[in-house]
Amino acid sequence: MRRAVPLILSLALVVLGGCALERVHPWERDVLARKSMQLDAYPLDTYLDEHIYSSKETARGGQGVGGGGCGCN
Amino acid sequence: MLRRLFASLFFIAVLLPTFAANAPELIFTTATGESLPLASLRGKVVYLDFWASWCAPCRQSFPWMAQMQERYGERGFVVLAVNVDRERAEAQRFLAASPAKFRIAYDPNGDTARLMNIKGMPSSFLIGRDGAILSSHIGFRDTDRAPREAEIKTLLDR
Amino acid sequence: MQLKKTTSIHQALALASCSLLAGVQPARAEGWETSASILYYSEQDRVQAIEPVVRVKKQLSEDEHVAVQVVADSLTGASPNGAVPTTTPQTFTSPSGEKTYTTPANETPLDPTFRDERFALSVEWARPLGRELRSVLQGHFSGEHDYKSMGLSATLARDFNTRNTTLTGGLSYNSDEVDPVGGVPVGLSDTVFRERISGTEDKQVLEALIGVTQVLSRTTLLQLNYTFGQDSGYLTDPYKLVSVVDTGGNPVSIMHEKRPGEHTRHALYARTLTAFGRDVLHASYRYYWDDWGVNAHTVDLRYRLQFSGGHYLEPQLRYSLQSSAADFYRPYLPQGETVEFVSADYRLATMTTTTLGVKYGIPTRRDGEFALRVGYMVQTGEDNPAGAPGQLASQDLFPDTKAIMVQLNYSLLF
Repeated sequence: MRRAVPLILSLALVVLGGCALERVHPWERDVLARKSMQLDAYPLDTYLDEHIYSSKETARGGQGVGGGGCGCN
Repeated sequence: MLRRLFASLFFIAVLLPTFAANAPELIFTTATGESLPLASLRGKVVYLDFWASWCAPCRQSFPWMAQMQERYGERGFVVLAVNVDRERAEAQRFLAASPAKFRIAYDPNGDTARLMNIKGMPSSFLIGRDGAILSSHIGFRDTDRAPREAEIKTLLDR
Repeated sequence: MQLKKTTSIHQALALASCSLLAGVQPARAEGWETSASILYYSEQDRVQAIEPVVRVKKQLSEDEHVAVQVVADSLTGASPNGAVPTTTPQTFTSPSGEKTYTTPANETPLDPTFRDERFALSVEWARPLGRELRSVLQGHFSGEHDYKSMGLSATLARDFNTRNTTLTGGLSYNSDEVDPVGGVPVGLSDTVFRERISGTEDKQVLEALIGVTQVLSRTTLLQLNYTFGQDSGYLTDPYKLVSVVDTGGNPVSIMHEKRPGEHTRHALYARTLTAFGRDVLHASYRYYWDDWGVNAHTVDLRYRLQFSGGHYLEPQLRYSLQSSAADFYRPYLPQGETVEFVSADYRLATMTTTTLGVKYGIPTRRDGEFALRVGYMVQTGEDNPAGAPGQLASQDLFPDTKAIMVQLNYSLLF
């Protein structure tokens, strides 16, 4: 639990600080719109990798996506 | 006294956006490099659209905009689709696959997009004959076709 | 490969959240997308697996889709049973009690009686709840002759700062049933007596995820996630054994392993995607810790070399260091020592897993893609832990694993 506190704080900072970070405008998202810049453009690759590594190691988890991209619609 | 001042300021701040604001003094660039001020389209109903080659919903909006231009062009309706790609070549590739049957302008630095405070891609604005912005939309979906056409007709009928 | 049955949940969460991408929007309001992959996995002298996966997605509108994924998994070969190698051949009874197998002298005992076929089905529904709020609901089921799993998950994503920041939250629940061949053995009991607790046991897994994705610049993306997992119920591997040895390091008996009935785990994950021209660097780091005493650091680096014409080459390096073993991990148990829990499953030990891989992709017509992935994975650990008595001091107590992986992908839109 104590290890989670710094993470929660950094998450909060990133969200709040997001307003202070260099903002990328909706018309500047050309690079972020590319398939190669998606957090998970290849869900089957991720699925198969997770399957292999969680079978061969005790450590697992962490991945889950959302955000980035072209931001269209 | 101070309370009344704040109350009236608040009142004005709330009401102000409801008055149709005039579009800023936007100047676009055509394919040939000539400047095209938005003001030169005064007297027409303008559908101002911001698009980019990397924006997938924009691909959907093009056939619809072409349809609107064809249907209402004679009544003084103009579609002005502003491209915000950084590289002209990207826009040209898009246009080769989806030819535009309406006016295209270019703004590679995003200056006019910034002035219009674009919140998403694509973004479109419906501007009346007097230059006032009557509505703005973010995105383009199948379900947007009918309501937006209705808005255009309303403006043309005025 | 000893495909552990505990895999489904975080995969469910990962998959569910995949669709929350604000990313590449489908070019249509409706349409189908099919992707298929087949993985061939082969460990030197051990297990082989073939795993085809098919995923079909139907776009219901620009923002809503339904997807179905079907996986079949076929496993053959031999897997370490947890017992230590000795200077004389050893004979073990298979889990069913009907067969025996013999391990030659000075070799890691491997159980060759594994033959597993698994089938998994998952359904996913993604829909918007607002212009900047998205949800994904997912349900899945998987079954094999000795294990069944069912689960549900829900994920939400909310955008802020004109989509420069996205907050993601997810929750999933899984209910599993273990139905081992030969019944559920009594933990810590001598295998000779074949004592059984029951025929089947249950396990529940609860997982939660909270994450933030932040656009750092026009060309860089950062994602930070924290995941929490809580497993409870029967967490022991019913097929794994532990050698009880005398002062000479010779086994006097073989016992069944036993793990605690609760497992709480955490992972902190950070990843960046940076574009360099048309190339992309993907770098991730994960720190894992749990209440069993296991700690791990995992780094994954990929560089996508994008060529004109759309094809690409992406080399990958993954390095995972399990820096701390489970408290109850023991490669062997000295005779006379009593323990509450013990397991000789090398996957709970300190070890490193290194993978070197490369992926090559070619775009096909209709926005599809064909790709080939090849990888080589090596797992090494403490071959000679200090204090190993007698003959064990000269044995390799960590069975290194070397595996090759070949995967073919094909996707198309129609």
